[in-house]
Amino acid sequence: MTQKAQDRITTVQAAVIVSNFLLGSGILTLPRASAEVVGTPDVWFSVLLGGFVAIGAGILMAVLSKWHKGKTVFQYNQKLLGKWIGGTIGLAFVIYFFMTAAYQVRALSEVTQLFLLEGTPSWAIVMVFMWVSLYLMFGGINPIARLFELILPVTIVIYLLVMLMSLKLFEWDNLRPFLGQGILPVLDGVRSTALSFLGVEIILVITAFMSNPNHSVKAVVIGTSIPLVIYMLTVVIVIGGLSLDGVLTRTWPTLDLIRSYEYTGLIFERFESLLLVIWIMQIYSTFTITYFASALGLSQIFHFDIKTCLYGLLPIVFTLSTLPQNIDVLFALGDFLGKSAFFLFVPIPLLLLIITKWRKGANKDAAEKSGS
Amino acid sequence: MRRRKVDHKRWITGCMATLILFLQTGCWSKDEIEDLSIYVGMALDLPYETVLERKMDQLGSDYRKRNHISFTLQIVDKQSEAKSGDTKDDPTSKPYLNISETGDSLFEMIREFATRLERPVIGHHLKVIVINEALSRRYSMNNLLSFMLRDNDIRLNCLVMMSSGTARKVMEAKGNSIIPSFRLNGMVDNRYRTLKIIPPVSLSKLESQMNAHASYLLQNVIAVNGEVKLSGAAVILGKTQKFIGRLSEEELLGTIWLTGEGKGGVVKSYDPKTKQVITYELKSMKSKIKSRVVGGKISFHVSIESDGRLIEEWMEGNETIDDEFIIRSEKATSKEVQRLIKLGLNKIQNRYKTDVVGFGSRLSIEHPKVWKQVKENWDETFSQVPITYDVKLNISETGSKQGH
Repeated sequence: MTQKAQDRITTVQAAVIVSNFLLGSGILTLPRASAEVVGTPDVWFSVLLGGFVAIGAGILMAVLSKWHKGKTVFQYNQKLLGKWIGGTIGLAFVIYFFMTAAYQVRALSEVTQLFLLEGTPSWAIVMVFMWVSLYLMFGGINPIARLFELILPVTIVIYLLVMLMSLKLFEWDNLRPFLGQGILPVLDGVRSTALSFLGVEIILVITAFMSNPNHSVKAVVIGTSIPLVIYMLTVVIVIGGLSLDGVLTRTWPTLDLIRSYEYTGLIFERFESLLLVIWIMQIYSTFTITYFASALGLSQIFHFDIKTCLYGLLPIVFTLSTLPQNIDVLFALGDFLGKSAFFLFVPIPLLLLIITKWRKGANKDAAEKSGS
Repeated sequence: MRRRKVDHKRWITGCMATLILFLQTGCWSKDEIEDLSIYVGMALDLPYETVLERKMDQLGSDYRKRNHISFTLQIVDKQSEAKSGDTKDDPTSKPYLNISETGDSLFEMIREFATRLERPVIGHHLKVIVINEALSRRYSMNNLLSFMLRDNDIRLNCLVMMSSGTARKVMEAKGNSIIPSFRLNGMVDNRYRTLKIIPPVSLSKLESQMNAHASYLLQNVIAVNGEVKLSGAAVILGKTQKFIGRLSEEELLGTIWLTGEGKGGVVKSYDPKTKQVITYELKSMKSKIKSRVVGGKISFHVSIESDGRLIEEWMEGNETIDDEFIIRSEKATSKEVQRLIKLGLNKIQNRYKTDVVGFGSRLSIEHPKVWKQVKENWDETFSQVPITYDVKLNISETGSKQGH
């Protein structure tokens, strides 16, 4: 499938897409998930290191993608590894992307049912959500990017607002001592925190749409840094407010922090619905981009029309999202996706990078030889 | 001709879009606020069935349960609902309604109210939970508050208090203008006027202490004839999360001075020379706990600093308030503070053996390695640890009266 000329995004839009993908369901669970592994108040440090790891992986993928101008990973890995191996790996990416989409939409329905729409059946929440997203995706990457550009600033402003309002619960002592149990728990925690930066891998796909693919590294670094700052802030404020021990038993700690204060006398007393609104927008963007990436992958591997793929995936993703029997299975699925992402998006891009480099070298040699 | 066709098509799609709107369901999960009973307070007591409950039991109200807890909900009752429940005196005009059940599962009892009230109860606006001391001696906080911490409507900023008397009594008020739960919630804000109110403990704060197996204080409330007083504090033992004893008002003052968490209040003492009243109003209070570990032996030193004004003095004649008198007042006041601290410290260290002041968290910050070793049995260790303190008070002004 060839892309139309107007399907080009700017560097800023690429960065925004990366940011919006990263900021997904994780933001509500990150403080607990990371606190469980780290076990000391230095969780924020683990998040910082995890962010660096993610940026490193992102740079790797961005460099790889910019060497294959105008091609997505689904196209160039077939070129590099052959039709079958490349196709299989591409398919693995596709499966990973739509599984992530299904995971996100399920997390959405869980939280919405618990805190917002107790009586609404989950299918009604999920279906409306998926249809609206489908409508956006039919426009291609450009409308997606433009909508994301609208969502991100709104998210940041509202998120900062509700988090800063919780500062009256904040206690420095909850974050101390720094490195009390040494650096080891922190390093251990990186395993878990790095997973919250899932989403950098989208650079493998969107570089193909960038009008200036040479800036893909810049896009991925900026795109990852915004969530890095937001995550750090989240972990510091949530643990500072609820304390490490208080976080461990909360299913959705960030939301619970917002549920722990109220301001009487303002127009709003409680702010969890504001947080939920922006969170739903973030899930929407994560869902849209993962779904789009997997449909795009399918269409490029099997040479289908992308519209067919977009429609075809709809029942699959919906069914997948209903499969986890309970919330523990859902979180287990999230962990599994994180781990598989680690195996998919670190060794394979590295391998592809080496092959590309080697081929380039070979081509250069050949060119020199034929030239002389 | 062609143009008209296009218009026609547009018109039809426009109509269809409008018609579809009528098929929309709107909010599926809506509950009109008029159809709900909003509860704002909870009281947990030892099983003691109300007269009404006993009469209902006689009429055959029965299900399989063990009578462990008497549970009272306070519902704001602004509407002219036909009253049912236990409000005995003047049932027509109280702005609230208390309703009690006895049983073993709090949630079951809450749902039980659906069989007794026209409008089902909803917990979004729960402000305060009052727990009876004797009940808390029997059951741990983990059990008593399990439902509240799991529920998705109850917010975590709901306050938790204890009552040395019947908790249900705290939920009653004289007159017809007070909602007792709101009154309690408002009284907690008076911390800038007295040292006898501890920093409010919300569900989220309590849960973090509970998970850390730490000991902590909860404000004690007493109620007589529909009037309440915040008096002293209940001590919850970390290991069991059960009530272990109470701090009197003076002992509580001592621990507040140790934590330095007071926002405002008074210290009354007697002039050693004239035996007359000297009252000090504090403007600021600071305490610094320093932990020391020498050869495996843990000790603490607390430096307390306070700044305030001389607000009342009962001098016999018209003696001048000179520097000498100010120094004497400072001394008398700081001696009084030391007496309070000694009282409080003695109680928590020797009697209850619980660290409710936060010495442990200082140790964990300053000596994390040592803390890791003593963490398990901290309350026991704490009772043996030497604690020293010094009090520095400064009377920086004498109010709007100078000299005499």
